[in-house]
Amino acid sequence: MRHVVTQFPAEAKPLTEPVLLILTSLAGQPRHGYALIQDIEALSGGRVRMSTGTLFGALHRLLGDGWIERFEQEDTARQKQAYRLTAAGRKQLQIELDRMKQLTRAGFARLKAAEAL
Amino acid sequence: MRRAYRFCLLLYPRQHRDQFAEEMLGVFEEAFAGRREHRWTWSVRFAFAEVTGVVAGAAEAWLCLKPAPEVRTTPCSNLPQELVAAQQRVDANIAGMVHAIANHQFERARIHSDAERRDRESLRILREKHGLNS
Repeated sequence: MRHVVTQFPAEAKPLTEPVLLILTSLAGQPRHGYALIQDIEALSGGRVRMSTGTLFGALHRLLGDGWIERFEQEDTARQKQAYRLTAAGRKQLQIELDRMKQLTRAGFARLKAAEAL
Repeated sequence: MRRAYRFCLLLYPRQHRDQFAEEMLGVFEEAFAGRREHRWTWSVRFAFAEVTGVVAGAAEAWLCLKPAPEVRTTPCSNLPQELVAAQQRVDANIAGMVHAIANHQFERARIHSDAERRDRESLRILREKHGLNS
């Protein structure tokens, strides 16, 4: 039996759902923590309500990877830490979305082929 | 609720708390205040989700802090070289698996896990060959 292992290049590792949602949310504009939770809930059609523990765990990893950066947002009532995508984060998101697009296309093609039989 | 959440944050390593605790507390309060008009059942679910998230997040933060187990590079002089090399492969795979899990790279963790199982079996055979199995 052949054992097939899919190897991703280091820069194209598949993203976890919280990470993908955070990167997608930040792709539009920089956001602070609570705005991220709200936007992710809206993005997922109410399916995902991220807890603060999950959110900050993912933010911590993303900061470590250099995919996002933290800055102080001064235009709000009280100063808040906000997050924005870096060029590396934008590239990762692009790679993941391309991968998903490819997979979606393949999935639909197979569904169509099965229906045609 | 705020005090309970602040207490839960003590589960995190100090560096993580210094960096994020105040912000997490602020976000928690905003999230709770934003939905206060809902029924108590919502509050219970919210609290449960938050506590679960904090416990999981803290576990992950500790895992990331813990250095990967060191690969033994100095062979014990009275052990055969092939046995030492096999043990080093096992250790390296365990280190790789822990690191991959900590970084949510589950596919990579599975590869290390499979390799570790194979190497451990080789190690067992070698130990038998050298009469080292107790």
